Amino acid sequence: MANGQEEKGEVKEMTGAKWEREQALVQKILEKAPYAEGRVRRERRIEFKVPADRIRDFLMTLKENNFELMLQITVVDWLKEGEYELVYQMWSITHRTHAMVKTRIPRELDKARMPTVKDIYPVAETYERDAHDFYGVYFEGNEKMEMPWILDDAEQGLFPHRKDFDMLAYVKKKYKILDRFDENKDNYVI
Amino acid sequence: MVSQSELIKEARENGMELLPLDKDTYELFFGPQHMATENFSIILKMDGHRVVKAIANPGFLHRGFEKLAELRPWYTNIALLLRICVPEPDVPEAIYSMAVDELMGWEVPERAHWIRTTVLEMARVSAYLFWIMGLSFKLGVYTAGQWAAAYRERLMALFEELTGARVYHIYTIPGGVRRDIPGDKWLRQLKDTVEYIKSKLPDFDHLVFENYITFKRMEGIGVMDKKFALAEGVTGPNLRATGVPYDVRRMDPYLLYPELDFEVPVLKEGDALARALIRRYELEQDLYILEQLLEMGPPSGPYKVQDPRLKNLPRFKVPAGDAFAHVESTKGDFGAYVVSDGGNKPYRVQIRGPSIAHGIRVLEQLLVGARIADVPVILMSLDNCPPDIDR
Repeated sequence: MANGQEEKGEVKEMTGAKWEREQALVQKILEKAPYAEGRVRRERRIEFKVPADRIRDFLMTLKENNFELMLQITVVDWLKEGEYELVYQMWSITHRTHAMVKTRIPRELDKARMPTVKDIYPVAETYERDAHDFYGVYFEGNEKMEMPWILDDAEQGLFPHRKDFDMLAYVKKKYKILDRFDENKDNYVI
Repeated sequence: MVSQSELIKEARENGMELLPLDKDTYELFFGPQHMATENFSIILKMDGHRVVKAIANPGFLHRGFEKLAELRPWYTNIALLLRICVPEPDVPEAIYSMAVDELMGWEVPERAHWIRTTVLEMARVSAYLFWIMGLSFKLGVYTAGQWAAAYRERLMALFEELTGARVYHIYTIPGGVRRDIPGDKWLRQLKDTVEYIKSKLPDFDHLVFENYITFKRMEGIGVMDKKFALAEGVTGPNLRATGVPYDVRRMDPYLLYPELDFEVPVLKEGDALARALIRRYELEQDLYILEQLLEMGPPSGPYKVQDPRLKNLPRFKVPAGDAFAHVESTKGDFGAYVVSDGGNKPYRVQIRGPSIAHGIRVLEQLLVGARIADVPVILMSLDNCPPDIDR
């Protein structure tokens, strides 16, 4: 195990010089956005950490720096920390680089609010609807937030992808197949 | 003749809500039972036979794969996630495996690289044949559709021999592939099949792609330009039909693609016809790639990584971290974002299906002003795949 870690460290030092193009790109973006933290993950993969209230400014900076495509908005529910991590997956055709823009917001439903970025990347409207349906993140300024997306009307407000969503209780209630389950056993894999 | 207000009143008494419309417009529910939409629905507001407004209505195929993946061990998820893309299930397998490989820091053996690339290209060819089938049915050229289904069947037989399954292969796993190539006979059969399909391409051209009916029905409808396509996150053949040469296999090379020679076809028109022709050219390129791979031959060596941690798969753990991997599918840029907290199950798996970009907002905007008969053609030219929107 110790050997493996040493080897990894060596690889990092060796390839540090190889990723000059990515390093230069991160430096260029950080100069315009000093509030962010950035690093190179590996070849063609970079990562930024941005405070939640500066996300619009930062994505505008990225758009000016030829990040043309927004691939996805991922929400990760960190239950222990009590936070949602929002990952904006960006791709630049010009630089051939994938950038993850990470930001953290509280996971309480009344505090999980973000400004919309649909005026910067119009496709974000769809991703924001998706994040709202499954996680309850409210994107202010997105008119389609209340429109039905994938879940049924009866499932609105449940936010089933949250880590503390009780799937077993939901399945029992929804499909009324109580006799199939043994009440004493609690760790079913549904 | 019953008046509109009476109808609305009657509907309300029965627990339904009818929206009052203008005198000449009506609402049309297009799908999910319509053959063209494939488990997807569009609510169209029509004026005569013209679409005034379209609202995409997904959700008929939602099976909660991302949530289910959080409850299952790392290797079990392969059998789950591949169901996200029905026409080419090898793509979700490959992206999930590539992301886990990155998290594990594994160097996948060369033989596994070769097999994975071949399987992905075979999946691309079969998905394009499947798409030709759908397109020709929507255009009314049924003969070509039946040919395409029959040729795809040959690839299905090869997949069955390689993986044991026809459609859902459960073959590409983290660290390599599940089984080795059955033998030289299989390689010869694949070579024959590639040659056979290649020899049949002119038939498709005569019947579909050089057909006057196709031009008449597809030219100039559903036009999008470069700027619009980029802002809407469109990828794959739909983006290349607007003049952007973005192909993940070139821009972010993975597996054996840096060593392979292929062209990225680009057209500038951005209409339904351009999108169809791009797919036709790419089918040819994919067959060419398969020829090169067969000429190269599978390198010798193991077909999956040898790691002592793999002995007890239910307790197999992945170091904490996150990784993003994406490949070029026939629909576009297919990506997976995998987060691990160091446990024996993924903490979060997010699959980025390309259809979520071009199947919702783009479709809604392209359909405005189209005729009702063009709706299936526009849908098919975008190659909308509802399961990767719903997941």
